[in-house]
Amino acid sequence: MRELKGRPIVSGQSRGKALVSKKPISFLGGIDPETGRVVEKDHDLKDQSVKGTVLCFPHGHGSTVGSYVLYSLAKKGVGPKAIINATADPVVVVGAVIAEIPMIDHIDISQIGTGDTVEVDGEKGTVKILEAAAHCT
Amino acid sequence: MHLTREDEKTYDGELGWAYQTSMRILVKLGEIFGATRLIPIESAHASGVSYKTIGDAPIDFLEALVQAGAKAKVASTVNPGGFDYENIEAMAVTREIREKQDKIIELYRKMGVNPVLTCTPYYIEAPKRGAHLAWAESSAVVYANSVLGAWTNREGGPSALAAALIGKTPNYGVHQPENRRPSIHVKVETVPENEAEFGALGIYLGKVLGDKVPVLEGLPRAEETHLKQLGAAMATSGMASIFYPCGSCPRRTEGLETLTVDRGTAKGAFEGLSTTSEEPDMVFLGCPHCSFNEVKRIAEIIRGRKVKPDVRFWVCTSRYVREKAEADVKTIVAAGGRVVSDTCAVVTWVKELGVETLMTNSAKTAYYAPTMNKVKARFAPLNQCINTACR
Repeated sequence: MRELKGRPIVSGQSRGKALVSKKPISFLGGIDPETGRVVEKDHDLKDQSVKGTVLCFPHGHGSTVGSYVLYSLAKKGVGPKAIINATADPVVVVGAVIAEIPMIDHIDISQIGTGDTVEVDGEKGTVKILEAAAHCT
Repeated sequence: MHLTREDEKTYDGELGWAYQTSMRILVKLGEIFGATRLIPIESAHASGVSYKTIGDAPIDFLEALVQAGAKAKVASTVNPGGFDYENIEAMAVTREIREKQDKIIELYRKMGVNPVLTCTPYYIEAPKRGAHLAWAESSAVVYANSVLGAWTNREGGPSALAAALIGKTPNYGVHQPENRRPSIHVKVETVPENEAEFGALGIYLGKVLGDKVPVLEGLPRAEETHLKQLGAAMATSGMASIFYPCGSCPRRTEGLETLTVDRGTAKGAFEGLSTTSEEPDMVFLGCPHCSFNEVKRIAEIIRGRKVKPDVRFWVCTSRYVREKAEADVKTIVAAGGRVVSDTCAVVTWVKELGVETLMTNSAKTAYYAPTMNKVKARFAPLNQCINTACR
């Protein structure tokens, strides 16, 4: 088990499978608010669902309406369980606050692989990699 | 970040979920951007109203706030919506869209937010010089900081709403005097001659300046409406929230990095805003929304003329200004144009009206329209726009 230490943003603990993107995510227009599927053209997570994942990406971008999209995803039960960013930006921070999704940043997300079982602690700002997925990326 | 006892109680949920969530938004943003405390604001202006741009996403959250009893603590206003009831026959809106848009506006109203539905709330009531604000509309933010001398960061829709409900904002960014100081000296070699040239200059500057605070030398006697276009454009292509225009301003610029904008650069920026030279099927003036004097000026130019039958001629302004400018509105309507309030060509459905080519004097609109409205853009000053629209 490895532990990465970052900065706490939104408190709460959550365990789940990581879904890791190298690209910024725009929640408005980038993710289908009904299903949680990534619909942004040319995105490295295109057609994958953020539902129930620990979503790892560098940072958010795009409209501040994206915060509301994150809230709707959570309300409909198709949002991520936790969020890990390299650098938190206002859109995602506000979204995680209102949706009450545990969130940390200042993490080197290249240390985490899609499918890894991870545990996020939004109070301490840490993520534990409990089990690495058996694949190469 | 230091919180007062009151703030802490709110943060801990003593006033309920709506205020707790709003306080958490403000505190988290404050922590990330290095605020030391929350400061009282004079007013808030939220974006995130037009159903065309925001869709269904915010409805759930706004509804939850209303149900939890959220009420604005300070004078609060919102941006344009998706259509104008008074010109409903000219709008491409279905019953479903109308219902959704009405619902969004009603939710804001229930929170005590005044649905002025304009991007120029300062024409209704200008903020006091030196007042702290939490405004979200980027063109209004630049105007407030640079022309009106008020102090506001570029808020997002949710953070401006949170500030409205709490009556405070975290004191980072341009709420701190040191972040309002000029950091670059821009020498504009050719004085822009009209609002479109000011706008084109703004698009260029927004792209190259990042978050620097420019002193813009070479803009003597610039009209407020010209500065409105300049600032709106800077915020469209960049991160700007404040600039200082002047004719010659040696003292404030000592020791600063300098950037020279020559005639060729300005001309290139202007030409880059047109994606076509075709005849427009829509001519749109009023981004940002026209002032009383701008409506008057348009009326004076178009008086006695006729808009071509196959051209839609829209002048967009606030409901407040439209009511005040009744005589001028009649003149524009008599010429075959429309004076549209509560929305604008960018945040309503124009492609769905059959519009292919949009002509405008707004650099912000010319910059956005090809992507946000999927139409071709033709960019020219006001006189030329009116001449093209008319027979």
